[in-house]
This record gives sequence, C-alpha cells and structure tokens, in this order.
Amino acid sequence: MGKKIFGAVVLLGLLGLSVFVWALVNNKVVIGYNKGYMPDQPIPFSHEQHAGQYQMDCRYCHTGVDKSRHASVPSLNICMNCHIVVKTDSPYIQKLAEAYNTGKSVAWEKVHLLPDHVKFNHAAHVKAGKECTTCHGPVQEMPKVLQHSSMSMGWCVNCHRLPENNAPINCSTCHY
Amino acid sequence: MDITEQTPPTPKYWMSLEQWRQDPDFKKFAESEFRTSPMQEGDSEDGWARREFLKLMGASLALTSFGCVRRPAQKIIPYAKQPAHLVHGIADHYASSYVDGLEGFGVLITTRDGRPIKVEGNPDHPGHEGGMSARAHAHILRLYDPDRNTSAKRNLQNDKRTNRETIGIAWEKLDEEVSAQLKKGKVAVLTNTLMSPSTRKLVNEFTTGFSAKHYVYDDIGFESIIEGQQRAYGQASLPRLRVDRARYILSVNCDFLGTWLTPTTFQRQFAKGRKASAEMNKLVVVEPLMTLTGSNADERHRIRPSQTLDVLMALLHELLVVKKHSSYASNSGVLQAIAPFSKSKTDLAIPVAEIAQSLWNNRGQSLVLAGGLSAGTENSAAIQMALNLLNSVLENEGKTIEAGGAAVLGSAQAGAAGFNELLNALNKKEVTTLIIHGCNPMYSAPRTAKFVEALGNLEVIIYTGDRNDETGRLADYVATDHHSMENWGDLEAFGGVLSIQQPTIRPLHDTRAFQDGLLNWLRAAEKGSARVKNSATWYDYLRSNWQEEFYPANRGGKSFEEFWTDLLQKGVVQVSRSGGASRSLATASLSGVKSSARNSGFELALYSTVGLGDGQLANVSWLQEFPDPVSKICWDNYASFSLKDAKQLNLKEGQFVKLMVGESSLEVPAHIQPGQADGVIGLAVGYGREGAGEIAKGVGVNAFALSQWKGGERITAGLETKVTVLARNNTFACTQDHHSMEGRQIVVEETLKDHLKNPGGQVHRHKMTTMWAEHKYTGNKWGMVIDLNTCNGCGACVIACQSENNIPAVGKKYVISGREMHWIRVDRYYTGDPENPGVVNQPLPCMHCDNAPCETVCPVAATVHSDEGTNDMIYNRCVGTRYCANNCPYKVRRFNWFNYTQLKAPLNLALNPEVTQRFRGVMEKCTFCIHRIRDKKSNAKLLDQALKDGDVKTACQQSCPTQAITFGDVNNANSAVAKAYQQPQSYILLEELNTKPAVRYQVKVRNTAELKGGSPHHGDSHQKEGQHV
Repeated sequence: MGKKIFGAVVLLGLLGLSVFVWALVNNKVVIGYNKGYMPDQPIPFSHEQHAGQYQMDCRYCHTGVDKSRHASVPSLNICMNCHIVVKTDSPYIQKLAEAYNTGKSVAWEKVHLLPDHVKFNHAAHVKAGKECTTCHGPVQEMPKVLQHSSMSMGWCVNCHRLPENNAPINCSTCHY
Repeated sequence: MDITEQTPPTPKYWMSLEQWRQDPDFKKFAESEFRTSPMQEGDSEDGWARREFLKLMGASLALTSFGCVRRPAQKIIPYAKQPAHLVHGIADHYASSYVDGLEGFGVLITTRDGRPIKVEGNPDHPGHEGGMSARAHAHILRLYDPDRNTSAKRNLQNDKRTNRETIGIAWEKLDEEVSAQLKKGKVAVLTNTLMSPSTRKLVNEFTTGFSAKHYVYDDIGFESIIEGQQRAYGQASLPRLRVDRARYILSVNCDFLGTWLTPTTFQRQFAKGRKASAEMNKLVVVEPLMTLTGSNADERHRIRPSQTLDVLMALLHELLVVKKHSSYASNSGVLQAIAPFSKSKTDLAIPVAEIAQSLWNNRGQSLVLAGGLSAGTENSAAIQMALNLLNSVLENEGKTIEAGGAAVLGSAQAGAAGFNELLNALNKKEVTTLIIHGCNPMYSAPRTAKFVEALGNLEVIIYTGDRNDETGRLADYVATDHHSMENWGDLEAFGGVLSIQQPTIRPLHDTRAFQDGLLNWLRAAEKGSARVKNSATWYDYLRSNWQEEFYPANRGGKSFEEFWTDLLQKGVVQVSRSGGASRSLATASLSGVKSSARNSGFELALYSTVGLGDGQLANVSWLQEFPDPVSKICWDNYASFSLKDAKQLNLKEGQFVKLMVGESSLEVPAHIQPGQADGVIGLAVGYGREGAGEIAKGVGVNAFALSQWKGGERITAGLETKVTVLARNNTFACTQDHHSMEGRQIVVEETLKDHLKNPGGQVHRHKMTTMWAEHKYTGNKWGMVIDLNTCNGCGACVIACQSENNIPAVGKKYVISGREMHWIRVDRYYTGDPENPGVVNQPLPCMHCDNAPCETVCPVAATVHSDEGTNDMIYNRCVGTRYCANNCPYKVRRFNWFNYTQLKAPLNLALNPEVTQRFRGVMEKCTFCIHRIRDKKSNAKLLDQALKDGDVKTACQQSCPTQAITFGDVNNANSAVAKAYQQPQSYILLEELNTKPAVRYQVKVRNTAELKGGSPHHGDSHQKEGQHV
C-alpha cells in the first residue's frame, strides 16, 4: 500500500515537473510580477485619448480613488455621461450603449492584481499627495493600459521606507 | 473513579469535574493543546484520510505546475448604472429590525456592494441599547443558507399526509389554487406572536375578510405569563420589566439573563445595576438547572422544577402570615390561598425567611421573576399569579414592573386564540384551510396534543416557512417567505418602541413575503380595506399604515416624507401609546392553587439554550458550534444530571440514557452538570430538527417530544421521568477542557464589602523587571479592558467575532480534537463545592502582549509586533510550524488544519471582504479588529481629523450587551481604556510571566458575605507554581 502511494507520488511528480518545464520553455507561464502585462480589453478604451488628449481628470472616472480603498473602474453611466452624444456612430460606443441599456455590463480584463492578503488603500495614497502616475506610470500616454510597476512587496516597502514619506511599515499596514 | 470523592489538594478554581478530581488523564491532556495528529484515528476507516491525501496531493501538484502563474485572468465588471450613494469598498449601514421569539432587536446591517455581511445592534434602541445576542448575530447565515427553498413548493400529499413528492410551483398558480380554496371558507391562520404592528393589522384584515380565526402559537411559548397577567390584572399582555431599577433580584427558576423573554435587554439592564458600588444589585437565584442566570448569581439555591410554585408561596407565607407585612396580610382570600403552603418553608432547602426579609427591606426596589420552559409545570399559570401577588406585596408594581407598554402586544392581538382552541376547532372540523406562519408546531408541539392527527381533518395547509421542515413537509403549499433581511416590516419590541425593518438585499431566490401573499389573496377575493386595494405591495401597505397609524400623533412638525426618511435612517422611534396606568391586582385569581411538588424520583425540565433557542436557526453552523455558556458543549444536546444522581445511576459523562415520560421516550447522552439539583434531568430544546438542512441534520434529539399536553396546556417541566442507563457512549464536543490554566490566578473575585474597602485588594500583584529594552509606542497603543464584573458569559462576542472575521466552523469531530477556530472564547471556571458551585466567566481574546512569547519563536517572523502594540499575524508569511501556539500561555492561537475557505454558495456572500480568508496550514488569532482600526484611522486622515476615543470599536466590544469590554488607545490619557487601566481593580492575566498583555481584566465583585471558593488569592500555591513558569 505504502509503496503504491509512493510510486504514484513519484510518477505524478515527474509528470507535473515535465509539464512545468514544458510550460516554462514555451512561455506558457511567466515568472515574475507581470510588469508590462497588457491584456486586450473588450472595448479598446484609450487612456491616451481621454487622459492625454482631452486632459480629463483621473478622478472623473475613477470616482473612488480619493474616498475608498478602491479607485474603481467607472460604472457605465459615467461613460454615458458623454457618450450619449459623443461618437455614437462608433461600433464600440454602440456596444457600450447596449451594455448600458441592457444592464449587462462590460467585463473588463483586470490589469493590476494584488493577492487577497494585501490591502492597498488608494484614498490614503492620494491623500498623502502621491500622483497616480507614480505607480501606474504615464497612463496618459497609454492607448492600452499596462502594468507599469512590479507591484511586489519590495517595491511597496521601498517607498514606505523613505523618511520623507513618513509611511507606516508595520506588517499589518497591508496584511490583515 | 468515584465522582464525588475528592483527592486533595484541590485547585480552588476548576474547569471540569476531571480537573477537580485531579484526574491523571486530565493532567496529561491539559499539557497539550493539540491532542492528535492531522490524520485522525479512524480516518482511514471512513476513507477520509485517503480522500484528503489525494486532495493534498492534487493541490501540491497544481502548485508545482502552475505555482508561477501569477495571473488568474480576472474580470472587473462595473455597474451599468451605479446607485448614486454607493462607493466601492465602503460599507453601508442600514437600520433594521430582527425578531427572535419575543425578543425584538433594533439592528444595523452592514452591507458591502449590496450584500449584508454583518448585523450590529442599534445603540439607539432603548431596550438592548446596541447589545446583541449570539442568535441575532448569526441569523445572517440563514439568509445565505444553501438549504433554503428557492421557490414556492407544492407537496403532493396522500390521505395520511405522508407519502409525498415535492414539486415547484409558480406563484401565480399557487395564488390561483389558494384563492379557490379560500373561497370555500372555514379558514384559520396560525402565527407566532406577531411583533409587527402592521403585519398584525394585515392579518386582522385577512381574518375579517375571510371570516377566519387567528390562532397564536409560539415554539417557546409564554402563554402562562399572559394568562397570569390576564387573571391578575385583566390584561392579556406581557409586563415590561425594569431590571435596572431593582437592587434585589430574585429569580425563581427563570433564566432571564440567558433565554427568558428578552434576555439581551435584561442583560443590559442588569449590568447597569452591577457597577461595584454601595448601590450594587444582588442576584439570588433559585433554580433546578445550572443556567446562565444561575452562573451569575450572588447566591444560588437548588430546587426541583415542581417546587417553583412552593418557593413563591413560601415567600408569600413568610411575608404575609409570619411577618404580616403589607395590606395583603389582612386579605382573607389571599391568606386562604397561602394557607396550604405553610409547611413549604421547611420542605425547601432554601433560606426562605432570609430571602423574604431582604425582599421586604428592598421593597419597591426588588424584583421577583419566575417562568420559562423549565418552570412550565402543571401549575405554571398559578406560578405567574403567585409571582404577581408577590411583586405587588413588595410594592414593585409600577416601579420595577411596568404595565402599559407590553399591553399593546396583547390588545392588538385581541381576538386571537391559543393553540388549544385551534386543536378543538380542528377536531370539530371547523377548519378546512390552515395557514401557518412564523412557527413550527410540528416540531415543538407535544406529541400527546395529537396535532398531526387533527391536521388530517384539513383539506389544505399553507406554510410560509423557508424550507420543507417538520411543518413544511405536512403542508400542501410551502409559500416560501423572504428572510427578514429581504423583506420590509416593522417591530414593536416594547409598548411604544417601534422600529422599522428594511430590506438590505434583493431577494436571493424566488420567494415572496408572507404579507404579500395575504394581500394577493385578499385582493383576489375582493376583500379588505381600501388600503389593501390601494397597496400594490406589502411595502405600500406598511407605509400607508405608518402614515395613518403612527405619523399623525408623532409628526413633530415634519412632513410624512421627512418622518419616513428619518425613520429609515434612525431605525427606531418612540411613539406615544395609551396605557401605563397603574393596575390593580385581582387576588381572587390565586384561590384554590395547589402544590405539585415532588420530593422523590426524577423529574424532567426542558430548557432552551443560549445558542439555539427554539431551534429556528438550527441550520446555522456558528450556533451549532457555539459552546454552551455553562457546559461548554456544542453540536449536541444532552440529559444533564446532578453529581449525586450520576453517582447513584453509575453514569459516566457521555453515556446514553433512555428517558421515558408517559408513553414518550428518547435516547440521549448524559452530561454531569455541577450545580444541578438532585432528582432533576435537564434537556435542551432546539435540537433534533428534521428537514432543517445539512448542518442541523442528526444533531441532538428533539426534546419537545417529551413535553406533554394536559388540560389544554403544554407541560415542559416537572414531568415524572423514568431513566434507564444504556451501554452506548457519546463523545461530546466540549471546548471546556481545551484551555486549562493550571490553578493560577486567572479570575479574581472579591466580595462587595472587600471591594468597597480596597478595590483590587485580592489581586496578587507581581513586580516584574526585564533585561531588555521595552517596545516604544509613539503613536497609538491599542489596549482593552474586560470587566469581569459585568460580563455574564453570554457569548455574543464569540459569534460577533466569528461573523466579523470570517471564522469557519469546523464540525463536531474537530471540536473534539480541539480544533475549534473561535478567536475569542469565554472560559468558565467553577469555584467551591461542585454540588452547588460558584461560576466565573472570562472572555479571552488574544492578549496582544508587549513581550509576546509567540513572536520570539516564529522561525519566519510571521507574527510580529507593531508600533501600535498589536501582535500582528501575517498569514502569507506563515508556514504553519505552530510553534507560536505552543508558546502562547493564553492558548488563543488557532490553526487551519484544513482548507476552510471554500464555502458552499451562497454562504460565501456572508464573508467580510476586509478580512483575509485564511488557507490551510496557516495560524490565525484575534487581530484586535485591525481592519477596523485601519479603516477608522484612514478615515480620520482623509477628513484631517484626529482619531477620537471610541471611534474604533472591536466587534466583540460592539456586540457586548453589558458593555463589559472597553477598547481604545492607551497612549491617550483621556481615553476610557487608559482610565480603566489605572483603576485598582484592573489586573493582568498571568502577570508573573511578564508578557505584558494589552488586555487587562477587572475583578469580579460578588454581593455576598463570603466567596464560594474562599479567597481567590493564589499566594499559597504560588511557590509551587514557580516550576511551571
């Protein structure tokens, strides 16, 4: 019995290892913090156009950023504030309008992803006077949003440790 | 080993009989926190171990192959149309109401993104003042119960209502069929006591419209109180008790702090009078079972349930005949009624004369209470009448007992009849259609009432429960009601104290409000008032009722719209009610009362537990795993025996016994309960539910099966019982033995006299020195003080914490292994003579030590000290060595033996997103609600304000009905907690270890001449303890 299980473990382990090596070699998995991750979005929203060209304030859409932990992706009614009249002939805006009208919202691809055991608070950082671009990079130049920073713990702590930031570095500042 | 034989030296404070006897097994056991390996003995037999092994293997395989995929592609789906007020990540709070039996709560429901995640008390409610009970916290899990019906059901019954098939039914079809049936007439409505004035009005309209009769039945009834009030004062009502105004409280077989009537309100009131001063109240308890109330008594005596009436009559005899106090002493009718009880005083083993004298000395400031399931003897109504007379003699009427308020409940249900009348009507075939709402008579009615047989005469039964439970399975239609969090409503907890119930989530399933059903059926038959016709929904009806009923007299210059908005925001409003006038006692009601006291043989006393109550919430895992405040057993009910009886029967803990009452019998494991009266067997109701769901399935037995129906009354106590000891054994899931403190100074007690002279004088203090530099706390330093004097051990904090912090329930099997996950526990210690011990309770969260022993042993620094004095547990760093748990002298750390994060949908919706879900192999413990601290601090910063004392409240603190927990910033010299730190009655648990906990305790003060366990000073055993340290 014991031998059988042992054999099975070894076999499964070898199998897993070979799959892993194959995946690694063929770029099926990427080791790292996904810096540079730039997924396709269901609607090719351009930050370059909105934030760059039209100089829209980030907070016009990301309404939670100075109030809550989440900056929040805007609800469709915010998009429709303008797009009820702007560029209604575009098929993408029609897609947006349809989603808005049917109540079946758009499923955006999440770009920045922190693990569940990390609690990041947008409002606190905005309050401390940090620019959005400090972490998110030159979003106003991005036609398609990508993850600008590694968002690793070391990256967070580097900034928290700077004396001028006067930021807490307790573990429970972020982990609880 | 002989149970009552004692081998010296005995520890003064003991947690279980095993420890009291210095059992070698116990000693061995007490030394280890975790008794077993992760693979349980017997696991391989049920195939579990192999399954878990494969699961473990599967997981690690997945880890090796995909461990580096950091991106499970996730979607963000924003609202299409976001509600205006909603900010993602910020909780909303809605004022609402909750009713549990006859206890009404004003609650604040926390919702995140439209889903309720937590229930808090509404501090503005004048009854419980923000305090909560374990059940009031836990009822949120009933909303997310996977075993709830998801639509209306049609049960296809045969003639005997047994062979059936359950099919879904559309609401339109149900309405059509029910309306056709209602047209035939002979309709009756059976409900629980309706605490909602608007629902009462609607039911009245319904019964008038269909010439139906309204019957009232509660699973745990208070008929005897209402009958006693009716006969004594001519008001079918419940009195409003003011425990806070009483300085001397005598409870005769009445668990008013635990389970009777409105315990949370009573706890709050009792705690107000419990402040250690010359004015401190005194609680004397005379009871058969060891209840939560008895465990808080200053003086406790034991009686049989059948002697309840005799105690009251003996007191009356002493006061009226012997001492000739009060004007009733010359009332010949009263004297005649008391006369047969002239010898009761000597038959009872309690100091009647002394108690009577103390009561008389405190007349107008005393309160006598009696009643409840364990006092539900054959003369339960007589008990209430004797009680009314006693309180009148003591001039308490109008002072500690008020009329007016509660009369509202009675008068508004005028015309309603009781269960007995329903039975008669059923047997006479006067009813063909029965609508059952809010009660579960098939579970709780005595079998001898022959209710099932009587139901055979019915054509159609419509049940509004939320599942096919005992009553549901006999019904033809289950018109599945909303959960209270999905429905509108109102509540009158006390006369004139009204609160609104507003939904906090759109109905999860295709359910419908009971009231909407009534409205539909009324409209289909073109009956009812104009309001029924004009109300499209129950909400319209409710609003219109408020507009016409309560708004005009209470408008206060506001428009109705403003009044209504105000109501929704505050949740509670006091309206003027007629009544409250002084009432006069009709003494004639007492004549002909006879004693039914029994002095030999066993008698049964049913009781309800603090956790499960009437059993409506039996499918809530938190409550099943909630350790009973007295026995600390969970996941079971049991027949409790006194030490003497157990010895006589040669009973062992957990051994099955067969209890026979008349024709009915039950087989149930026995528990030996210190403090229980001899000749009494206690058995809890609320267990043994059928059809309640996966969690309740097979847990305990239905104790109501032993209750009897005699003379139109339900008898739940004083039942003559035959006991047969069986050879089978049960292992209890008992949390009591897991946390021994080895006879050290844990809970310090003082008598009031000593305390007033020298508060904290009994505390053995230690001067500690240290070689190391101390931590520096320059900003906040969080601390907590727990006042053991007001804490009564109810355990609401345990469930509040469980709800707040996503704490899993682990099941009976793993509680037996000591793997329960509660972050705060309530330790219960007995003191003195085990036959009738004193009891002390001690809530124990993580102590957040400054010199934390756990921190120094963690090899990966997963538990670290913060500069705010908290001991942080960093889950993502933890590798699960469990060294910290080994090294914690307070045993507050909990280990995730399994992956508890996967919850059956929709239970996952109850999770608090502020608190990380812990994975298998990770240690966890109380965090001082660090997420609340972070939230409030960050809020204060955003608003450029300083954090004020009292801004941050921990979940346990917020929930505590007695406000025994103080939390705050110790560095702020003006904070309540900093002041409490300095009070002389504050002490440090296991101070000699120099752990410097941030949690401190305050001594328990007893209003007695001497303490049951003698002086708690641990000086004499102190030298010996050196070796443990």
